[in-house]
Amino acid sequence: MKKIFLLFFILCCGISYSQIEIPKLTVDASLNNLLRYGNGYEYTGLNKNSKEYFENLTDGRININNIILGFRYEISDPIEYGRNFKGFRKRFAEYNHDIGISIRAGDYWDIVSRGMTMNIFEDRTLGYDTGIDGIRASFKHNFGKFKLKTQFLGGDMEYSDYLNPTRIETYKVRDANIEVSPWKNVTIGTNYVFAKGRIPGALDTTNIKAELPEVYLGFSFKDFNFYSSYAHKNVMSEPNNSPNYRGFSSQGDGLYSSLSYSKSGLGITLDYKNYRFDLTGPDNRGTDRPTKLLPFQNPPTAQKEHTSTLISRNPHVTNFNDEVGGQLDIIYVGSEKFFMNVNLGVASEHYKYADVDTTAVINYQRVARDNNFIPNITDDAFNPFWEYFVEAEYYATEKLYTKLAFSRQSNVVYNQINPNSSEKILTSTIPLEVRYELNDNYALKFNFEQQWEYNSIRTGEKNFMNEYVSVNLTKSPFLGITVSGEFTNDKEEPTGKSSWFLGEVIYKLNQKNQITFSYGSERGGLKCTNGICRYVNPFEGFRFALQTSF
Amino acid sequence: MKKLIAGIFLVIIFCANVKAQTYYEFTSNDLDGNEVSLSKLLEKGPVLIGFWATWCSPCKEEMKEMQKIFDKYKAKGFTYLALNQDSQKSLSKVKPYIESHGYTFPVAFDTDKKIYEGYSGRDDIPYSILINTDKKVVAVHKGYLSGDEKKIDEEIQALVK
Repeated sequence: MKKIFLLFFILCCGISYSQIEIPKLTVDASLNNLLRYGNGYEYTGLNKNSKEYFENLTDGRININNIILGFRYEISDPIEYGRNFKGFRKRFAEYNHDIGISIRAGDYWDIVSRGMTMNIFEDRTLGYDTGIDGIRASFKHNFGKFKLKTQFLGGDMEYSDYLNPTRIETYKVRDANIEVSPWKNVTIGTNYVFAKGRIPGALDTTNIKAELPEVYLGFSFKDFNFYSSYAHKNVMSEPNNSPNYRGFSSQGDGLYSSLSYSKSGLGITLDYKNYRFDLTGPDNRGTDRPTKLLPFQNPPTAQKEHTSTLISRNPHVTNFNDEVGGQLDIIYVGSEKFFMNVNLGVASEHYKYADVDTTAVINYQRVARDNNFIPNITDDAFNPFWEYFVEAEYYATEKLYTKLAFSRQSNVVYNQINPNSSEKILTSTIPLEVRYELNDNYALKFNFEQQWEYNSIRTGEKNFMNEYVSVNLTKSPFLGITVSGEFTNDKEEPTGKSSWFLGEVIYKLNQKNQITFSYGSERGGLKCTNGICRYVNPFEGFRFALQTSF
Repeated sequence: MKKLIAGIFLVIIFCANVKAQTYYEFTSNDLDGNEVSLSKLLEKGPVLIGFWATWCSPCKEEMKEMQKIFDKYKAKGFTYLALNQDSQKSLSKVKPYIESHGYTFPVAFDTDKKIYEGYSGRDDIPYSILINTDKKVVAVHKGYLSGDEKKIDEEIQALVK
């Protein structure tokens, strides 16, 4: 890869030199820096351990006419979450031509269509990075009204398991994508991914070959928009010493569709998902299972993405290997002062499983059912999830804004061996926000969230409450001060605490520099992006961040 | 190899005109599938690119104010271009959101985040870039605080005079 990168760089310089007269050569550069520091204590269960991290990320881009050179220099020593690193983490050279050609060598992220077969991205708070180091070439051109878009990419991916950062999966990925628009409102596309991977497990590393073809279609007609994508997955694993994964192939597939209707005052979206990328019994599931959804795949979750602190604490983690369901989202704009959002979401696994062995050995067998293309939310054995959410926003005056919502969620984690030990979580949450503009520059914001939770596997009190309060004062354009508190009467809170307080100041020194200080305790919990969730440990102490654009 | 790359970068940076942000040309599709080209918009007047997503509350606040600013200056050639950053999860809600709110400024998609990366975007939105007709980035705004629209209004006013 290093040689390809160097060759590409020399080639780009050559093209630039040969096509453009030297006096017209324009060279611009931009540099951005992010420094993060934290010092305090982190809780792992009841254990309180000192925690210190120092991260500095410098992103640079150099534009030489049609050529862009980019890099990220990183010092993560120690890193907040993940593996320590010091040096050039990312670098790339990119060439863009006006006729629609784009070539990039080095590191990149990308998404094809809605990500059923190819969606690679980075999220540092999760310690998640599925970026590819290789080459990406694309061509986009209009032949009259006919639009054509093609893309080829290939390279190496080193995926550090975000739940266990020391477990590294490696892949060689190749992808070809063609998309055409024969008419203005119609898009038809196909994508094909071929990958070879090495997936470490508890006993051995499994080599796999995977093929993922996908077709998708999008069209709009008057006020309606429709999109649908179907992907197939075939994984062949090589024999090794892992007893469960000894040389077998697995077929899976996924379907995602959305239909939306919109006009002034009303917007309706219906999402449907049917993900069967790795249907298997409860005893065969695991993050190191080689036939699971592969890390370069990331389909839509088809459920509401919440911004409320307490609602996001209990997210439903989408099971892309086995989940069917969808959501209905309605936006109603009554007037310039009144908006409303209603969201209904349901999901479940396709099948339930029964232990068919009469001896002590567990042998799960899938229970066949009709209508497995719709979720079953009445039988706990399907691990059902449902939620409804209603939110209203109202501008009482030009200066006073209010937002009130109500959410009710139910999530089941079924225990096949002992159904009475299944975990059933029911939450009801009311978030309230009030904002008042004191004058042209000052604004005051008050947030209050009340949550009632029921958890069936608690040994003591199964019902408890959580509360979140925050007050935020901002002075445009440079200052933001926030004080927040979180409270619970949960007797089984892992840290044994019942309250957390945090103060945060964001100050923009100028357009180029922004600093953030925070001090206090944070409750931690699940952090989710794109259906991927990681538990963030509670933290107590000081954090500092400086964001600079040179 | 790493030292060589570092050396090349450093030499170019020292020789280059280092700015907080540089112009990045792009063409993207709007809500109706029409192509939106930044350079074509700049032929009419200055452009404010606002990176936003349907799940981002401050972005929505900013857009509400930007509709007023767009209405005020569009006759003078100004364009507010809302570049959507929704991921595959919420992309289908973008058009219903915009049309139900009756916004009239152009909205285009940046699903693969290539434009966001081209303007050095990093994990936080709203993020806006004001570009003048000479293709120079004249202002960058990270985040949105109530009242920020007044500063943005002043910056646009200075460009459309």
